[in-house]
Amino acid sequence: MVTREEILDIALLAKLSVDEEKLDELTKQMMDIIAFADTINAYEGQTGEFDNINGLSNVFREDTVVASYPREQILKNVDGGENGFFPVKKKM
Amino acid sequence: MREYELVAGLETHVELSTKTKIFCGCTTAFGSEPNTHCCPICIGLPGTMPKLNRQAVRYAIMAGLATNCEINPIAKMDRKNYVYPDLPKAYQISQYDRPLCSNGYIQLQNGRKIRILRIHIEEDAGKLVHERGDTYVDYNRGGVPLIEIVTEPDIRSIDEAIEYVEKLQLIMRYIGVSDVKMQEGSLRCDVNISVRPKGAEQLGIRAEIKNMNSFAFMQKAMQYEFERQTDLLESGEQVVQETRRYNTDTGETEPMRGKEDAHDYRYFREPDLVTIETAPQEVEQIKAALPELPDAKFARYTEAYGLSETDANILIKYRRVAEFFDAAAKLVQTPKTVSNLIITQIFRRLSTEEQKEAFEIVVTPQTLAELIALRESGKINNNLLKSTLEQMLDTGKPVAALIDEKDLGGVDEATLREICRQVVAENPAAVQDYRGGKEAAFKALIGGVMKATRGKANALQATEILKSLL
Amino acid sequence: MKPVSKIKRLHAQMTAGELSCRELTQRYIDAIGRENGELNAYVLQTAQTALDTADAVDAKLRAGQPISMLEGIPMTLKDNISTDGIATTCCSKILQGYTPIYDATVWQTLKHENAVLLGKTNMDEFAMGSSCETSFYGAAGNPHHPDHVPGGSSGGVAAAVAANIAVYGLGSDTGGSIRQPASFCGVVGLKPTYGAVSRYGLIAYASSLDQIGPITASVEDAALVFDAISGKDEMDSTCTGARETTADQLTGEIRGLKIGVAKEYFDGIRQPTVKDALQKALQHFQSLGAQIVPFDLPILKYALPVYYILACAEASSNLGRYDGIRYGYRTAHYNGTHDMICKTRSEGFGAEVQRRILLGTYVLSSGYYDAYYKKAQNLRGTIVGAFHNAFTGCDVILAPTVPMTAFEKGFTAQDAVETYLTDICTVPVNIAGLPAVSIPCGADENGLPIGMQLIGNSFCEAVILNAAYSYEQTADAFIACDRGVR
Repeated sequence: MVTREEILDIALLAKLSVDEEKLDELTKQMMDIIAFADTINAYEGQTGEFDNINGLSNVFREDTVVASYPREQILKNVDGGENGFFPVKKKM
Repeated sequence: MREYELVAGLETHVELSTKTKIFCGCTTAFGSEPNTHCCPICIGLPGTMPKLNRQAVRYAIMAGLATNCEINPIAKMDRKNYVYPDLPKAYQISQYDRPLCSNGYIQLQNGRKIRILRIHIEEDAGKLVHERGDTYVDYNRGGVPLIEIVTEPDIRSIDEAIEYVEKLQLIMRYIGVSDVKMQEGSLRCDVNISVRPKGAEQLGIRAEIKNMNSFAFMQKAMQYEFERQTDLLESGEQVVQETRRYNTDTGETEPMRGKEDAHDYRYFREPDLVTIETAPQEVEQIKAALPELPDAKFARYTEAYGLSETDANILIKYRRVAEFFDAAAKLVQTPKTVSNLIITQIFRRLSTEEQKEAFEIVVTPQTLAELIALRESGKINNNLLKSTLEQMLDTGKPVAALIDEKDLGGVDEATLREICRQVVAENPAAVQDYRGGKEAAFKALIGGVMKATRGKANALQATEILKSLL
Repeated sequence: MKPVSKIKRLHAQMTAGELSCRELTQRYIDAIGRENGELNAYVLQTAQTALDTADAVDAKLRAGQPISMLEGIPMTLKDNISTDGIATTCCSKILQGYTPIYDATVWQTLKHENAVLLGKTNMDEFAMGSSCETSFYGAAGNPHHPDHVPGGSSGGVAAAVAANIAVYGLGSDTGGSIRQPASFCGVVGLKPTYGAVSRYGLIAYASSLDQIGPITASVEDAALVFDAISGKDEMDSTCTGARETTADQLTGEIRGLKIGVAKEYFDGIRQPTVKDALQKALQHFQSLGAQIVPFDLPILKYALPVYYILACAEASSNLGRYDGIRYGYRTAHYNGTHDMICKTRSEGFGAEVQRRILLGTYVLSSGYYDAYYKKAQNLRGTIVGAFHNAFTGCDVILAPTVPMTAFEKGFTAQDAVETYLTDICTVPVNIAGLPAVSIPCGADENGLPIGMQLIGNSFCEAVILNAAYSYEQTADAFIACDRGVR
């Protein structure tokens, strides 16, 4: 069972805002989805352990400097930024 | 009022001095123009993937071994999820339940061991600059490798906390894995602090204090927090478990987070990275390559060299000083002389901690040892030893250029006898005092001989001649 | 219809001087112009880039230089594969205006071979869906029946290849997103072994499940493209590359091949025609000398919830970075950073993406972690073990790709869980990291293609592709689609 309050808490963690008028519908949908997810708990047999799919280990890079990107490339998707920074205005 | 006891545990973040970031090849150099040490990986562009820096892992293992930790044969990386503008992927790649190192300790001077629960590697966040309420983000620091060293709540006083951090700093400097500069942020401490009535078994409710970027602030913040919590308990109130920040303007600690920052990190395994396996042989190799650590040096200086604990502590406090001392001490018969000259004479010229740390002097351990050897063979006396060292420190000239053959030859007996006669003749008052039974007056006469020979006279020989004349 | 390798045919025509690369490219650009209005397969067309590349290939041909097999072949990329200087949006509002500054490794490889990129193709937003209807650019259509969906999430690539407005394309498969649309559109879709192809530059949905793979008009083409894009990559720690090449192992000879059949895969089939087609395919394989090995795979019924828990958990983390600060959409009105981030995400993500983020956040949150995420992760281990065990008794596993044929547009909007059930046959392979290829095996009563998948053991792409090839070349089960470049 999932409550409206839980959905709001989860949404806050996920940084999503939920409209009050859509909350009931969303809660109902999430109840169905979580009930579906919960079907795994019907499994009572032995479970394995999972590490990573091909059991890989120790993949490293060496500590060698690679040239960074030009700043205009880094800031390309924020219209070049402001004074070299990514800007976030307080209010818009 | 009851007596209260402080209980603290520390979480220390140390920036590793790798050349490159932990997951990409961008440089870790400090203090450049914003967003110039960045690439698609460290600004978290969609589709990019991390690649773990081998050296960061190695440094963390070195730090673990130097603090008596076990190195876990299997470790993994996890994601710590939280949304904040300085964290470009909205998760920090860190280690949760399988860190690289666990169960170590650092021993304090009072013999108490501060247990280290774990040391793990993780990435640093970027930097936010606030101006008139607007926020500007710089990701140069984002992705710089850190180790987080977490202690058990074993610290019982502010002094112990500071000693622990100083010792940790020293160890990290010795093994060369970090600059550990608090002001530049390459060492950052969070303190978990609680109070309890003295003698109580159970731990009190703790608060975590962040943002202490100097020892002075750390001391003040802990003092304030200790008093605040004591007052709460005395007035029958409860301490709230929360994160607090030290406000350097007010000198107080204050709650840090609002509701919108409610945290639940939802750790889970980082699927873009693979397991880190460390074989016992590899641990042994790294261990063997570690330099001698402060505790071992201290034991050697006091036991093998017979230095006082105070002197030994001064020498080990600065890695370069200790290295210099070790190099010179090996070449002389009296290592204590090396220690004395460093602490009394050389340190006079190095007034700040930074200067002592850097220990930039023109004298080499070899030339200092040469000079001391002359003293040990009786060819020069203490005065000449000291004055020559001063000249060496000023000029960087070798011993031979400052003390000539004539000086080393000393003064022949006939000349010495003549000088002694003159000294006796010129100091009738002292002669009379000596003859009257004042032993101290003899020192003035010897002093006179030494002055006349510019310290070259053999003191024993001069004493004999003077005594025969008197 | 017996398909042949389009890539080989076009390569031969170009090297023989019968066809210039520019002419070929122009035909495809023109065909896109005719078809895309109805199919909405392409969300971005890169005609100029394509023609420039074509000219470079022609220059080489004129100079008598040899060209590689994929050189000059017009193709497409799913809109979640990063292309330097070319918008890559995952068909989401939140990535509107985003242009990558680097190339995905697979695209870097193909670009180096002068692959002719015609454009970026439609998909479900962030690869979350099986119909291509959650795309910010609107639904794509199935070339066999445009009122039906092409499947998803790589629906645009599958539609483009089926309609012959691309020779081949690269899609990504997290829970069936290559195989399911390939099945719906009657083309070949290969989901490689996890780690065979680099994921670097693939905008992540669920990192431990995602794999890039080819969608093509024939098995041989799939093998050729797979051989080109598979390989170890320094940028992807989980990528070891393929163990062997595949195109040179397509003999069509499968006598003695053991084909495993688990009834659990067939239980959920909803259409009798699909069941019949699969039965016929099995008989055909037997006629080619394969041996059918029935086995039980009871754990399969947990695969779907395990998949949704793990995929959504990883997605909730992977999609955290869309905060409006560094790229993409940012809300117009807000007060404070927190408000900006929440509004940006709520306005920028569609409903299905938000539901999956919420589920993922829920299953990882304290109090629920053990019952959902951890349990699912352990069950993943169990499922991996069950497949491992199955492959001790057979060489390939044959199963339906989807328990149905392409549904009508609008079907998925009704019930999230009902829609998830259509992925039941595809997700187990992702959970176990195995390779699987979907190939056409007939059509239903409406003429919509039916697909079957051949699942192999890890890094055994050559085995499943050869089995698929033997069927494709002999069964006459491919459904022609009279569209695009003739």
